[in-house]
Amino acid sequence: MSTAATQFTSLLPNDVLARAEKMRLNPLRRRTNRMRGEHLSGKGGTSIEFSDYREYVPGDDMRYVDWNIFSRLNHPYLKLYAHEEEMHVAILLDSSSSMEFEGKFELARRVAAALGVMGLMNVERVSVFKCGSTSGELPYLRPCTGRASLKKFFRFLEQTTPGGSVSIDESVDQVLKVHSGKGIAIVLSDFLTLGDVARSFNLLFGAGLEVYALQILGPTEISPELAGYLRFVDSETNATLDVSSVGELLGMYHQHRLGLENYLASQCRKRNGRFLSVSSEDPLKSLLFDQMLRQGWIR
Amino acid sequence: MSWLTQWIPTFFAPKYAWLFLLAIPVIIFYFLKLRRTRIAISSLALWQQVINDQRVNAPFQKFKRNMLLFLQLLLLSLLALAAMQPFWRGDSERLTYLPILIDCSASMGAVDAEGTSRLDVAKGEIQSIIDGLLPDQKLTLIAMGSTARRLTEFTDNKTLLTDALKRLEVEQVPSKLTDGLRLAQALSRTQSIETVRLYSDGNLPTRPNPATGELMAEVDFDLPFTLDFFQIDLPGNNIGITALNARRSSPERWDIFIRIEGTASASTEAELVLTSNGEPVGEERVILNAGESQRLVFSVDARTDQALQASLKPVGLDALAADDSAWLNLPKGREIDVYCPTNMKAFRHALESLPGVLVYPRADAVEPANEYDLVISDNKDDIARETPLSIFIGVLPDDLASLISIQDEPAEVVDWERDAQILQHVQLKEVIISEMPVKNEGISDVSIEDLGYSILAHGTQGPLIVSQRVGIGKRYFLLFHTDRSTLPYRVGFPVFIANAINEAMQFASLSDIRAPSTGVLPAQVMNEPGTYRVTTPEGRHEERSTDADGVLKGISAPEVGEYQIRKSGDLVAKIGVSLLNPTESRLETVDTITFNELSVEAEQQTVQQDAPLWTWFAAAGFIVLLFEWWYFQRRPVGVPE
Repeated sequence: MSTAATQFTSLLPNDVLARAEKMRLNPLRRRTNRMRGEHLSGKGGTSIEFSDYREYVPGDDMRYVDWNIFSRLNHPYLKLYAHEEEMHVAILLDSSSSMEFEGKFELARRVAAALGVMGLMNVERVSVFKCGSTSGELPYLRPCTGRASLKKFFRFLEQTTPGGSVSIDESVDQVLKVHSGKGIAIVLSDFLTLGDVARSFNLLFGAGLEVYALQILGPTEISPELAGYLRFVDSETNATLDVSSVGELLGMYHQHRLGLENYLASQCRKRNGRFLSVSSEDPLKSLLFDQMLRQGWIR
Repeated sequence: MSWLTQWIPTFFAPKYAWLFLLAIPVIIFYFLKLRRTRIAISSLALWQQVINDQRVNAPFQKFKRNMLLFLQLLLLSLLALAAMQPFWRGDSERLTYLPILIDCSASMGAVDAEGTSRLDVAKGEIQSIIDGLLPDQKLTLIAMGSTARRLTEFTDNKTLLTDALKRLEVEQVPSKLTDGLRLAQALSRTQSIETVRLYSDGNLPTRPNPATGELMAEVDFDLPFTLDFFQIDLPGNNIGITALNARRSSPERWDIFIRIEGTASASTEAELVLTSNGEPVGEERVILNAGESQRLVFSVDARTDQALQASLKPVGLDALAADDSAWLNLPKGREIDVYCPTNMKAFRHALESLPGVLVYPRADAVEPANEYDLVISDNKDDIARETPLSIFIGVLPDDLASLISIQDEPAEVVDWERDAQILQHVQLKEVIISEMPVKNEGISDVSIEDLGYSILAHGTQGPLIVSQRVGIGKRYFLLFHTDRSTLPYRVGFPVFIANAINEAMQFASLSDIRAPSTGVLPAQVMNEPGTYRVTTPEGRHEERSTDADGVLKGISAPEVGEYQIRKSGDLVAKIGVSLLNPTESRLETVDTITFNELSVEAEQQTVQQDAPLWTWFAAAGFIVLLFEWWYFQRRPVGVPE
């Protein structure tokens, strides 16, 4: 029996999958729906997990009076329980052509799978949007929850292929047309766009989604080793750019790359979000269980 | 604007300016070759920002963009300029053929406090001329030591010239400026030579100027060219031995005379040690005021052979080390052995009255152990006797028999060489001679001199006394017999005999002996004819053969020290050679050399040579090439590790 046949999905090794199932996403604020879910709310609610007592006031539901205390103190107290609410997890997977380079899309898809598993196994409502491929209606996986949705979730990701020329900021507009519900928006992209991501992040934040941005860059994008006189061709638009003495400009390139990284980080921070920039060559395990864990993306 | 033109370089080969035309194909090929490599990247977003930023921040963007082209054109320009051979024009006139005379005499070895010799300074200046040699200029280096010699032909080969200059060393001999000038004059017959440069310290033989009383160096030479005299005059004090000779005061003692001289610049001090056969025989401390000299006298035993060495140990700076030692070999003292036939009673009587003279044949029939020191005879057969000095009375040599005939007529002395050693203080004027040597018809004095004879006394019709050199010896011929003259009865006769004895003692090295000086080794009479190996003080070897008379002569001795003569490895003789030249030791210099028709003054400053610049341009081109390589290979600035 081959290794592939024994795996639940080709996206994640079994050990990573098993470990991801035991973890959960860690939003900074609890932007949840009123609908009951498994996500614990700070507010009092209906669950089996005790929260606090308070004095009975007229109008309270008599079912929540703690009769044991009443019998001892002869005074009615209400027993309060922690409120468990469900959270939306919208995964925006950049599938534009720029993600085809150096395994960026592959890593994005696997990270999406891992984070999605964490959401599904904790009864969050997980939806996946394939961004960047088309400017029309986005292909997406409708919100689903629970272990039963795993198969459907994995199948959607496995069938997703890169290709397209729509930038991530344009795609966010499309996402918000079909998405409803609060929670977190996990944006997996290289963010190499001429557009303004700040507007997109604003829209997501306005829609009640914390922005979790993961920038995935290829090794040659992080540290290009180029020299001489080159003509760059954009993979998405086929536009060309002539650059002379490229070696001379590498320093400036790095300044701009780090500038973009800092810009994205600050934009996320402003919206109570998180940002992480990784290389497409980074091992998945290290990324998930080391970097993301340490930076509080997951717990 | 002359100062401006002075700083504009001149090109020796401007024809190579056509190389600048190569810039056209360089530019064409640059743009043809500039085909950009297409590289597909994920997004232009970052690069577009970089380009926009670069355009804003880099004002020399176009320049930087075409940096490669700029470097190529710069490299081409430098190479083209190097090929055009630019040079700074110096002060000196440009000359095609330039002989350089370099004084290598002993005084050029004088060192200053830093240990730099005058020859080193001259070499440095000549080296700058060699370095600045332009392609159409040719130099020849002429060293003036014991004689003038060309170190190189006329050449522009800098390596050859530099090597020859490096090999040049000081010779411990007085300078001979005339030899060098004559050699340059000979060269001027085959090459167009307008100027000759002389590098010397100006230490030349001088005499007081009759008009001013100042010392002047006079050279008997007609200059056919301009002489540029560059004087190398380093300051320095010196004290040295300028004379060493011996005179026999008695058969058992030698008087040794040593003269010490110092420079005129300052007082000098030294300690003199005289050793004989390695044992000290005298010691004296000498303190000289500026320009003073001192004569020291020592006495040594004459009963054995003595190898004397005088060594001077100067106190303080001594510029010249070559004159601090002198050597003198003294033979064992003995009587003079004179052969004089018994029939020549007047001569024997005069000889026997002189001290230290043994006259043979003796009554006891004892023969001398060695050859006779002097032979006085009226027998022609005695010419065959081996002796350094002989006097024949009334003998006409065979080779003169065809030129001179003896007639029975009275003769009188018309004139005689009063400076001739044998005739010093001898009055011949009123001597009556009853036979007369007569030159045959058509025979002149020159004919006699051509046979190797010198006429010492002239009669009315022919020579009366002649001398002839034979090897290192000498023969005198009185062509009249003294028995037929009044000479034996004159006061001059014993003086004549005493002169003969003195000369014989000199030949036998038994009277006055001077220490040999550098230049040529004194001739040596060897017991065995053959080839001898001469080793110089520097350890060089030379094989020389004796001549037909068994004399070893003509051996160059340019170095101060002891020369060893060996035969089959056995030491035959050891001869010490010393500088012994007051002019060289005093280090006195003149800044004007007086020639027959004009005087040449030393240049006041060093002439600025033409300075070729092509090497600088070539070096700059190489640096540009390296920079180009580095520029395109370097790690970009700002890239994190």
